[in-house]
Amino acid sequence: MVKTILKPYMAPDTASVKFSLTVKKDTHSMKLLTKTMVYFLLIMLPVFTAGAFYLYTTFNKEIKHETDEELVNDKLQWMRYLDTATINNPVFAINTPEFNLQPTDKPVQTKHKLKGVSIFQEPEDTYAPFRQLTQVITVNNKNYQLTLRKSLIEKDDLIKNIIHVMLAAFGGLFLFVLLSNWLISKSIWKPFYASLDKIQRLQLNKLENTVFDRTATHEFNQLNAALNNMTTRIHQDYTNIKELTEDAAHEMQTPLAIAQSKLELLLQDDSLSETQLKGILTSYDELQRLSRLNHNLLLLAKIENQQYPVTDQPDLCTVLEKYLSLFEELIREKELQIHTDMIATAPWPLHPALTDILVSNLLGNAIKYNYPRGHIRIHISAQTFSISNTSELPQIPPDILFQRFKKQHNVYTNSNGLGLAIVKKIADSYQLSLQYSYENGWHTFSTGI
Amino acid sequence: MKVLIIEDEPALRNSIQEYLTHQGYICELAEDFKQAIHKVNEFDYDCIVADIGLPLGNGLDVVKELKILESKAGIIIISAKDSLEDKLRGLELGADDYLTKPFHLSELNARVNAILRRKKFDGNTTINFNEITIKPASKTVLVHNKSITLTGKEYQLLLYFIANQHRVVTKSALAGHLWGDEYDQAGSYDFIYTHIKNLRKKMLEADGEDYIKTVYGTGYRFG
Repeated sequence: MVKTILKPYMAPDTASVKFSLTVKKDTHSMKLLTKTMVYFLLIMLPVFTAGAFYLYTTFNKEIKHETDEELVNDKLQWMRYLDTATINNPVFAINTPEFNLQPTDKPVQTKHKLKGVSIFQEPEDTYAPFRQLTQVITVNNKNYQLTLRKSLIEKDDLIKNIIHVMLAAFGGLFLFVLLSNWLISKSIWKPFYASLDKIQRLQLNKLENTVFDRTATHEFNQLNAALNNMTTRIHQDYTNIKELTEDAAHEMQTPLAIAQSKLELLLQDDSLSETQLKGILTSYDELQRLSRLNHNLLLLAKIENQQYPVTDQPDLCTVLEKYLSLFEELIREKELQIHTDMIATAPWPLHPALTDILVSNLLGNAIKYNYPRGHIRIHISAQTFSISNTSELPQIPPDILFQRFKKQHNVYTNSNGLGLAIVKKIADSYQLSLQYSYENGWHTFSTGI
Repeated sequence: MKVLIIEDEPALRNSIQEYLTHQGYICELAEDFKQAIHKVNEFDYDCIVADIGLPLGNGLDVVKELKILESKAGIIIISAKDSLEDKLRGLELGADDYLTKPFHLSELNARVNAILRRKKFDGNTTINFNEITIKPASKTVLVHNKSITLTGKEYQLLLYFIANQHRVVTKSALAGHLWGDEYDQAGSYDFIYTHIKNLRKKMLEADGEDYIKTVYGTGYRFG
């Protein structure tokens, strides 16, 4: 019964847990924007290449076509001219790359042939592309092979220019698209990043202040609505559990009080045997332990719920003096040596009740776990407070140091394993530092503002 | 001495009544807010023990009512809540003391005792137990009219024992009374024994009787 009620307390420090959505530094993950840009690039590259290729071939074809038309046109004019030419006309002796008329035995062709050829150019020392038209014709009853050629060099330059212009245009467009894509994405995804940032900074005990605002994007509105819903539900659950634990702890006080009072009355009964009385006393002491445990768990919950506002600056030195005199008998009985090194006053911004608990828990432990004739060193400055004590006990393993119910030593039956957990909770809830160190048999706890 | 116990839990109400009656008080009971208001209006009490959480109302409002009635009664608030705010509010409204549940009946009795002494006699009274006389105003203790010197803790112990005379008082109740809630931070109850031993020795040296009896090593009975 008790166990189930107490269970929520044992949950890890829920309030201080931040929702950590930052993915571990993963080299394979990249920002959404980078990713969309890369994909965009990958898709656009073949499209652009294909476009450029298509344009090139189209222009090429068109130019060939134009050149061929010109060649045919020239041929017709030449034929017309040659029909009227006499045999002695010097035209029959012309032999240039552009125009050539050779006598031939081949039969007359009614149609011309067109093809591309490479002709060696002496001045440039390279081959240049030409379109060539050939036809066997009859002039003055003799057969001639007519060859007409037109250079494609200028046309090639034209194509190159066209391609350059096209590439520049494409490049410009590409850059423009990239830029606008980046700008648009940046503004479109802005609400998303705002929500992400909010989630990362979310704290369980401050959920009620978290609202994911409406955006101009439908999907983000859906996301934010879902997030709002979720945080509200988590907040409600969290508050419910908090209230349940607090209420449960409070409700337990009354039955504890009843049981304790009945046992105290039973103790007064003279007719009881020694065994019976001892049984009652044991139960009574265990009830005490239970109620202290309950009290401390309640305290933990209250500290976690920030129910101790900082209203005051109690002087740590005064508080320490108070507990030194309260624990005077214990110190004297164990013959402990107390060495104090304190400044005159050390006002700390902490609720007086918590200052008491902080000091009494640390000092109490230093006494409890000390050996007879041991030493306790206390140091208080304006910003720091540390207690060191000698002890036969080994260093406390860091993983269980401040954990609830992790008792290091079962010899101390009246320790409930919550003392340091409470100190830790105070430190965490009120932004105090808290360190533990062990050296040559000295255990030191130090805390600071 | 008339005490009104305002507590809605019957078992706890009866325990308090039984213990206080045994210590010589006349106890009356109220189980809810209405009864409480009715009783404080009808009768005069020397001391009122009031729970905060009551059916039909709040124990703090009973304190308010008592102040309106200009009652001289001492008021002890008992609450399941160990809340500083409630405590401060209760004391501000005019309560004399505040006790958190669960408490030792012997502690409640000692506090009722102390309040009555303070309220009724302005502290100017003597406490007598056979040959022992205590003058709280000057914190002096006489055995057979001979003054003995006690330390602060021994004096507190003696007062506590006399208030709870003839009853078994447990070590944890004694420790809680002398050192407050922090005593469990520091370890064992063993050191109580030292104080009791010293107190007993001083009384025996003054030819007093040995009133402090150990009950099976776990508690004490005075007288």
